[in-house]
Amino acid sequence: MSDIIFFLLAGLGLGSLYAMLGAGLVIVYRGSGVINFAQGAFAMYGVFTFDEARRNGYLRLPWFDFLPTHTVNVPVSIKLSDEGVSTPVAFVLAIAMAVLIGLMAHFLVFRPLRSAAPLGKVIGSLGVMLYLQGVAQLNFGGTGRQPEAITPDGVFQNFLGLDKAYPQGAFWAVVLAVVIGAVLWLLFQFTRFGLATRAASSNEKGAVLLGYSPQLLAALNWVIASVLATLAAIIVGPIGGSLTPIGLSALVVASLGAALIGRLTSIPITMAGGLLLGAVQSLLGFWASKDWFPTILSSGARDVVPLVAIGLVLFLRGKKLPLRGTVEEKRLPLAPYPVRIKQHMIVWSVIVIVAAFLFEDAGPRSVFALALVTSLIATILMLSSVVITGYIGQISLAQLSLAGVAAFIMARMMADGAKLTPDGAVIPFPVSGPGLPWPIAALIGILVAVIVGVIVGLPAVRIRGVQLAVVTIAFAISLQTLYFENSKATGLTAGAPANVKPASFFGIDLKSIGDRGLKDRPEFMIFVLVVLLGAIALVANLRRNGTGRRFLAVRANERAAAAAGINVSRTKLLAFGIAAGIAGIGGVMLGFNQNDVSSAGFVYQASLAYLAFAYLGGITSVNGAIVGGLLAPAGLITVTGAYFFADAEIENYTAILGGLGMIITAIQNPNGIAPTLQPLFQHFGRWLRAARGPEWAAAGKRLGPTFVVGAVLGYLVWPLRVETYSQFWMPLLGGFLALMARGIYKQARAGGHGAPPGAHGAPPVAATTSTPAPAEVG
Amino acid sequence: MALLKTYDMTVRYGGLAANADVSIEVPAGKLVGLIGPNGAGKTTFIDAITGFTAISSGRVEFDGKDLAGMTPDRRAHLGLVRTFQSLELFEDLTVRENLLVASERPTWWSFLLDLVRPPRTSPALEARVTGALEALGLEGIADRLPMDLSHGQRKLVGVARALAAAPKLLLLDEPAAGLDTVESQLLGQHMRGFLDGGTTIFLIDHDMGLVLNVCDYIYVLDFGRIIAEGTAAEIRKDPAVIQAYLGQSAGEMQAQAGESVAARVSGTETGGATHG
Repeated sequence: MSDIIFFLLAGLGLGSLYAMLGAGLVIVYRGSGVINFAQGAFAMYGVFTFDEARRNGYLRLPWFDFLPTHTVNVPVSIKLSDEGVSTPVAFVLAIAMAVLIGLMAHFLVFRPLRSAAPLGKVIGSLGVMLYLQGVAQLNFGGTGRQPEAITPDGVFQNFLGLDKAYPQGAFWAVVLAVVIGAVLWLLFQFTRFGLATRAASSNEKGAVLLGYSPQLLAALNWVIASVLATLAAIIVGPIGGSLTPIGLSALVVASLGAALIGRLTSIPITMAGGLLLGAVQSLLGFWASKDWFPTILSSGARDVVPLVAIGLVLFLRGKKLPLRGTVEEKRLPLAPYPVRIKQHMIVWSVIVIVAAFLFEDAGPRSVFALALVTSLIATILMLSSVVITGYIGQISLAQLSLAGVAAFIMARMMADGAKLTPDGAVIPFPVSGPGLPWPIAALIGILVAVIVGVIVGLPAVRIRGVQLAVVTIAFAISLQTLYFENSKATGLTAGAPANVKPASFFGIDLKSIGDRGLKDRPEFMIFVLVVLLGAIALVANLRRNGTGRRFLAVRANERAAAAAGINVSRTKLLAFGIAAGIAGIGGVMLGFNQNDVSSAGFVYQASLAYLAFAYLGGITSVNGAIVGGLLAPAGLITVTGAYFFADAEIENYTAILGGLGMIITAIQNPNGIAPTLQPLFQHFGRWLRAARGPEWAAAGKRLGPTFVVGAVLGYLVWPLRVETYSQFWMPLLGGFLALMARGIYKQARAGGHGAPPGAHGAPPVAATTSTPAPAEVG
Repeated sequence: MALLKTYDMTVRYGGLAANADVSIEVPAGKLVGLIGPNGAGKTTFIDAITGFTAISSGRVEFDGKDLAGMTPDRRAHLGLVRTFQSLELFEDLTVRENLLVASERPTWWSFLLDLVRPPRTSPALEARVTGALEALGLEGIADRLPMDLSHGQRKLVGVARALAAAPKLLLLDEPAAGLDTVESQLLGQHMRGFLDGGTTIFLIDHDMGLVLNVCDYIYVLDFGRIIAEGTAAEIRKDPAVIQAYLGQSAGEMQAQAGESVAARVSGTETGGATHG
């Protein structure tokens, strides 16, 4: 008994961190309706600023040198002293940094997003998180840090007579959390500012009429949240051991749990919830070492059980249909009716097949083949987001985890205990198993993914919007810790990749990376292409048939859908099942591509990234998934960039650029890239079919100058930063980019008058019909 | 024979009885109206019948079946189809697709076919959708998106969508709200047309003009209770109705409807529906 009490108390230290971050989440949510996935990243940047100033005497600013020259540089770090500043100075600097980050987040990201759809806000905050992680990697290095604690680091011997030593740091953290909680409560309950914030959160227009500026209030709330996060991380952070940018950012998940306990509205309940979460986690961690604890849960129970409990509470509180008068959420972009699917497929097939043979044994350039395969598989995964988020409007952050389920099950099903591959290569970690042939093993994997997907979808019956998004993250984490990383559950060696037998088709060997090194095999690329085309056909057919119409009806209005005879719950589960099936197809392809599966490929952070890139490409259409696939990590576009700008070390910037891309897309172009480019391509296609000699000459005259300017810029600018670059490719790339920019600008001028950058609710309808672009906005 | 019957139906929100002991009857093939001032509980009544709000006591019978515990979609499948007062169209679907959604009756395996099969709708389905479009004169805008339509057109699409579900009983929740006089009259004519097509209609509105002119039988709701029922002529003379509309209740709608009611109550029989 005294053990139980002690471990509950021991968890309060970490719990106070959750409590303070959770309070910040609630404050931001009330102030501007954003679930701030970057809350952990705020804390991370603050504590790193603190540690860097105290240790090395540098102040690192939250941006990077983006100018493409070596002569003119953006100031990124300021040297304050040679051997570190004193603790109080560092503390003040960290708080000032937190204020700056809070203000930047509000004015640069969330103020412009104030009337965006919930998904847009989610993507915006994921973008901020990725951006801060990337900048922190650049400015502070990605390795762990162990900042010195500023609280006394001794222990209380025989604490409360429980016969154990209790760390003083945890004690002071709890004291601080309680004090801060009380201060916040007084602030929001009894001051004019608090009153105004609460008024604005329940009725923004009313607050304006009373003379308050909701935007100013929101900005202040962002600052409070950011400062709170930094404060918490500086005081409590050192408890958990060394700190990494990614590890600290991940704190947001448990904090979201605390915020959900407080229903995203109550600060005291949230803080109590955070403390409770920490305590329960600590106790579960203690119990997990006991004999009676189910071994299959022992590695993950600590993270998973509290999240599942919160999900259950939300589920029981939820309603099957939204109530009358529920504030309607802003809509997602239109899901265009796919046209000319066959033509698109033929074009893609030709491109991929040509690339497959072009890059066969192409030496260093076969990286492109590899990247193209990665992009094609990523496209399949993003198609699953198109179904679940684009078509039926459920924000699922667990799609990659479902892919992982299929891949792991497949690896298990085809395992036969062999120690060598058919080619005679050694399999490092042989696993015994039923040894099923690959198509059957893959099918079983996909079916299991479908079943798990439907389970993941169960909460969606009663939980909506961003709350559902948080619950799906909980599922992603559960799958990761309870299954992928749990050797008892997978039956595979923990942490070690499990072998996937290469697929073969009527005697054609579809070998993948493991066998071929970097030398490409066209057969595998064509295999991926065929599977992708199949998946595209499924998703496009879905949209054009009754099932897709019902999905969109549910997305548009659940009450009206029910009135039209649609069983909303069943339709949502069906969508989760279909999306999981498509994700499962992507998962088994990942397995074939890698020749093995390992938990590292399916961490929940990667799942977030996939949704974000799908959004970037265009979450509501097949074309969007293709663009998203090209943009995906290690996909064609990043690899091409890294190849041509080898010494720019572009891979250091992928997180930053990805984050910025998400923020800019969410603000400027919530439809994604594909719907923006599509009219351009349509226009070009029509022109190409009609053009004769004179038209070509006229076009040359019209577009030539733009191309030349772009080419010259490409030639001049990049060498300023990059020494080794391609004399041939840079001007060409610059020219094409200039042409594309011109096209987008013209199109915006011609058709964009109805949709100024602020009007996110009114997506253009250009892609719904085959009428000439640019279509008018209603 | 009564298609819809409620027996002492009560709906409570906390301590407030939004509907108290409401017993009404809608005979097949008739157009029955329910009027009442704002806040009388009209929409709650439709919500309760269609399963969007749980009833606290009493019973609802449709087509001889007790509806207790049935979800809204099941009720729609039985032929009990409603429209919404606010414009709850599917904004991402064209007008035709809006109607198709309501008229399709999928089986559990239809999604498998939908995944592998290019787009296809059965001729019977097409005919029903086209019929509904024609009934309301919407053929010209079938491929437009709701956001491109005028308010009046959107209202008509809402009615057409309900009609495309081939309802036995069509529940119209304030279809004339926000329509101008001509549109409102046209809607009245359309409704008589639906009746000829074999659809029973239950019309809820606060526009006395429309209701008194087209309905065969009328119930009057005030503060959640039925205060009067009868034919249009009887309702016009009913002192309780005059009291409800002109007496205590305030609100912009009453101010609107009041004049025309008063004019009619005083005995002048007007031909067309005028309001506003």
